[in-house]
Amino acid sequence: MGVTCVSQMPVAEGKSVQQTVELLTRKLELLGAEKQGTFCVDCETYHTAASTMGSQGQAGKLMYVMHNSEYPLSCFALFENGPCLIADANFDVLMVKLKGFFQNAKANKIETRGTRYQYCDFLVKVGTVTMGPSARGISVEVEYGPCVVASDCWNLLLEFLQSFLGSHNPGAPAVFGNRHDGVYGPADTMAQYMELFNKIRKQQQVVD
Amino acid sequence: MADVLSVGVNLEAFAQAIGAIQALRSSVSRVFDCLKDGMQNKETLEGREKAFIAHFQDHLHSVNRDLNELERLSNLVGKPSENHPLHNSGLLSLDPVQDKTPLYSQLLQAYKWSNKLQYHAGLASGLLNQQSLKRSANQMGVSAKRRPKAQPTTLVLPPQYVDDVISRIDRMFPEMSIHLSRPNGTSAMLLVTLGKVLKVIVVMRSLFIDRTIVKGYNENVYTEDGKLDIWSKSNYQVFQKVTDHATTALLHYQLPQMPDVVVRSFMVSGLSKKFLPLIPPD
Repeated sequence: MGVTCVSQMPVAEGKSVQQTVELLTRKLELLGAEKQGTFCVDCETYHTAASTMGSQGQAGKLMYVMHNSEYPLSCFALFENGPCLIADANFDVLMVKLKGFFQNAKANKIETRGTRYQYCDFLVKVGTVTMGPSARGISVEVEYGPCVVASDCWNLLLEFLQSFLGSHNPGAPAVFGNRHDGVYGPADTMAQYMELFNKIRKQQQVVD
Repeated sequence: MADVLSVGVNLEAFAQAIGAIQALRSSVSRVFDCLKDGMQNKETLEGREKAFIAHFQDHLHSVNRDLNELERLSNLVGKPSENHPLHNSGLLSLDPVQDKTPLYSQLLQAYKWSNKLQYHAGLASGLLNQQSLKRSANQMGVSAKRRPKAQPTTLVLPPQYVDDVISRIDRMFPEMSIHLSRPNGTSAMLLVTLGKVLKVIVVMRSLFIDRTIVKGYNENVYTEDGKLDIWSKSNYQVFQKVTDHATTALLHYQLPQMPDVVVRSFMVSGLSKKFLPLIPPD
């Protein structure tokens, strides 16, 4: 797993989500990227059940259980600012058994699906973020395989992003600031996706 | 006996028929020659025309005669004897492949191609000889008799010495760590880890560096058996290019008499690869 940057692409003026995605993919193909199939990242929200809060009177914590098609045998469970657990795919079944402690907020299920492109050592994924039946936004993920230290190659990633995103300028993800010289891992990518999904959930619905 | 007789008749008529074919061919070519030469010079136009027509008629008659002779002889030759069936070899005469193969043009292309190849090979050998890549201490052209009988000593070093040299280099640079192992006999295999950027596998032959492979920090350098994988290339194009540079470096640094200096310079050149992630891909 190399250093990854996940950002949201704003929908172009006067165009729908699908048209903007098509524009992006066409630019990528002109650049010379090779289409390599599809990808899917989804996220489910769990509330801490009321019965466990009891006398403490704390607000319920939200837990996100995510899957990434890049790691088909794994399941990621993370809290907002807390630790991230990387577990086996059977973790979903375990969550069903933990119904007493964590309750699934089914309406908040959000996912992004799209195509996966390979360009030299870069892996680019452009996906449409959907919540239920409606498309809410566009997610762009770029991974640079050879490097595992975030601070070393952020400039390179930014340059590459600008070459096909055009005027949109993504800022450095927060996870990069947390670990300066630490090895980048898939948990950081899922944290970025979680932030993206939360931001999109708060946005108003995009008119299709 | 009957066999020989029947064969004998056929053979005579055969030979005569072949002669008749040659006669027919020559008379036909005479007809065409006559047409090609056209009318010969005579005083009057009529004279010329008459002479031409007379000649032409003569030639056509001779063609007719030869053709009749050939027909008569071919009837004499008859069918091949039933006792000697030819089976498939009799079909050889029907083989049309030779007519359809553009033999001459293909031969010509092959000739031109081999000429070009020879020319390019000459140029390439001239260029390559300028950069001598021999890493042994023996000079070229020294005959076997004059070569010293003693083996070059730099190739037969005690493994302990090699270990010492490597551990000394290991201590020289803080961000570079070298791990030595000998899974296949006496030749050392080094796994050099450079910061968190890359790993280099160096295969050595006593103190001479034989091969290098550069891989990313997160790539697997061991095979399924747990042994060091010295053959598979990196998955990333960046590191494949760096492997090419490293191989060039190891061929460039040559000092047959002082191999430890060579190893040290090679490691120093490897340090610059730490700044790799800043180089954009081509």
